[in-house]
Amino acid sequence: MKKKVLLMGKSGSGKTSMRSIIFSNYIARDTRRLGATIDVEHSHVRFLGNLVLNLWDCGGQEAFMENYFAAQRDHIFRNVEVLIYVFDVESREIERDMHYYQDCLEAILANSKDAKIFCLIHKMDLVQEEVRAKIFNERFSELKTRSEPLKISAFATSIWDETLYKFKLSCSKSQAQFKSMEVRQANFAAFFDILTANTYVMVIMSDPTVESAATQMNITVARKHFEKLETSHMTR
Amino acid sequence: MLKPKVISQVLRQATTGGVKATLLLNSEGSPLAFVSESGDRDARVYAAIASNVWSTFEKNTRPLTKENLATGSGSGGGTSSGNGANNALKFLLVECEEGNLAITTVANMLLCLTANPDVALGILKAKTEALARHLEEPFQRVTTYNSS
Repeated sequence: MKKKVLLMGKSGSGKTSMRSIIFSNYIARDTRRLGATIDVEHSHVRFLGNLVLNLWDCGGQEAFMENYFAAQRDHIFRNVEVLIYVFDVESREIERDMHYYQDCLEAILANSKDAKIFCLIHKMDLVQEEVRAKIFNERFSELKTRSEPLKISAFATSIWDETLYKFKLSCSKSQAQFKSMEVRQANFAAFFDILTANTYVMVIMSDPTVESAATQMNITVARKHFEKLETSHMTR
Repeated sequence: MLKPKVISQVLRQATTGGVKATLLLNSEGSPLAFVSESGDRDARVYAAIASNVWSTFEKNTRPLTKENLATGSGSGGGTSSGNGANNALKFLLVECEEGNLAITTVANMLLCLTANPDVALGILKAKTEALARHLEEPFQRVTTYNSS
């Protein structure tokens, strides 16, 4: 189950820094060591059970960008599940950023029109605290109009505050040690259980006379079947 | 897939002629299905007691054969696992003041019948064995699905 994730944005906007913090356990200070990304760096990231992200960190220097839109257009923009576009909030060339962004969307629309698009307004720590919300809202509404007909989501981020860590924590939290639970009332019984590595199951029994152990046994039997489905889907 | 309703129907057929309750338990002692004339609460108590009695006997009555001693001392007797299956506890009949109890295995589960004291042990055993035979094949299928 490999999902292709494109990480794009202007040179120096912080793509590789963010990636290092989330997936390589860097702390914010360590990212000062990072140099410019040359062309595309591929990495496979395993998270949330056995989900594998195929992360394409695309260097943002203009020479590379031009190349993505021309010679490598098909190669880069085909089968994309998620596009993460990073904007530097301090950038002095907003028009040019938008120009590349729209080129990028055009290529996505042509090659993988179902991709989810996330825009990150990055380096928010460099903006005065009082105006952060205002600036973010301005940028977001502009991006929304520029992105038509595609729908986007946007977030204000910074490697120096807790926003990235919140995301990182939310990833690891869902792997918490939750095993199963059962709710039984007069009219129904509900069961929650881990089904496969990536899925949970909820079963509602409308007949409260059926014993819990019987339902749990059936869930165990069903688990085998769904695991088979999942592995056959992954190897396809 | 188990159909709990159907299992209950089968168990109900055995709950006649002085049999007070018929229960099917998993290896942990939770009932998968049961039919009881004396109410759900009693049946759950029977279930807990039956599985406890069974596991106690199973743990403590492993015969002191050479194989068992060999595995105990760690020198490893080759065919001990096969022998263990043959020597495993198969059936328990318990005669109590207020009733009789029969327990046996169906696949990896327990089948338990409780009867009034006037029900003879022979007929109780025969009934339990007949029911176990009937359930064995379909449950074998579910459990192989579970473990394979």
